[in-house]
Amino acid sequence: MDDLLTPNEQNLIIEDALRSYPVATMPKGITDLVLARIRTETAPRFQITRNDYLLTVVLTLVLGAILFGIQSLPVYALMQIRIQGILLWQSFLVNYRWLLPLTSIMLGISLAGFALYQLLRLRRG
Amino acid sequence: MDNEQNLIQRAQKGDHDAFAALVDEHQRYVYNLAFRAVKDENEALDITQETFVRAWTALPNFRGQSQFRTWLYRITTNLCYNRLPGLRRSLADLGDDVMSEIPESESAPTNPAREFELNETGNYLHQAIDGLDPNYKILIVMRYQQELSYEEIASLLNLPLGTVKTGLFRAKEKLRMALANYHSEEQWTIS
Repeated sequence: MDDLLTPNEQNLIIEDALRSYPVATMPKGITDLVLARIRTETAPRFQITRNDYLLTVVLTLVLGAILFGIQSLPVYALMQIRIQGILLWQSFLVNYRWLLPLTSIMLGISLAGFALYQLLRLRRG
Repeated sequence: MDNEQNLIQRAQKGDHDAFAALVDEHQRYVYNLAFRAVKDENEALDITQETFVRAWTALPNFRGQSQFRTWLYRITTNLCYNRLPGLRRSLADLGDDVMSEIPESESAPTNPAREFELNETGNYLHQAIDGLDPNYKILIVMRYQQELSYEEIASLLNLPLGTVKTGLFRAKEKLRMALANYHSEEQWTIS
């Protein structure tokens, strides 16, 4: 039979086989799965979890403790804290003023890097 | 195609039903492409879902510069590359020594006496295609099932045009060898 097939005939048979190569059998329900994911991703339901309640309680207790502590302190101690605070700020301004532009530059670079990363991720899509 | 344009515009505005219609229309070929690349049903299903979810997210940025299906295949291909890091390398390693046009014929001339024989040969060749490397199968799927041009395939896979042509040429050569084996086996059985 091989003798009966010319190279052109072989080519035709191969072309035919390539064109009629069956598409893989589709599993059902892909549309529903995709839509379910899209709905959860686009409209996240507002939900308060147990952790949110716990965090609220802890924050309230901490704030209450700070306020109570401040109110319970004698006036002399409050004045001392204020003076120490002012002295600390002045010392920072005199000795470590260079930290301000440095921090701004570092923050700017970090933000630009993060934005670039997000942009590249979106373009790779 | 006008209808698809309309569906895309509606989906861009957040219409889920319009997007569902687009998913229905294209899922078969997206799944097929993923399945031929990763050779695993669950993985292919996962890639198909991910493709459409990403398409939904990026749909507001879709400007219609390419066809919607080509855009979807690009997302699918990128996801396949992410899952199979070796795939991109093995595609690029195909080389680009075939630069001329690959001749393609319309369809084999048939007559009733040979039709059965050709069907048998066709089935054998389909099995041979199944056994090819995923990089060849991706090229075959894009060229013969998705009916994309060589330029579109090269752009989608981020490969030189010559590599795409070489890959398809070599895939055909492998099938030609399989066909020769099939016929020599058949001759052996008859004699």
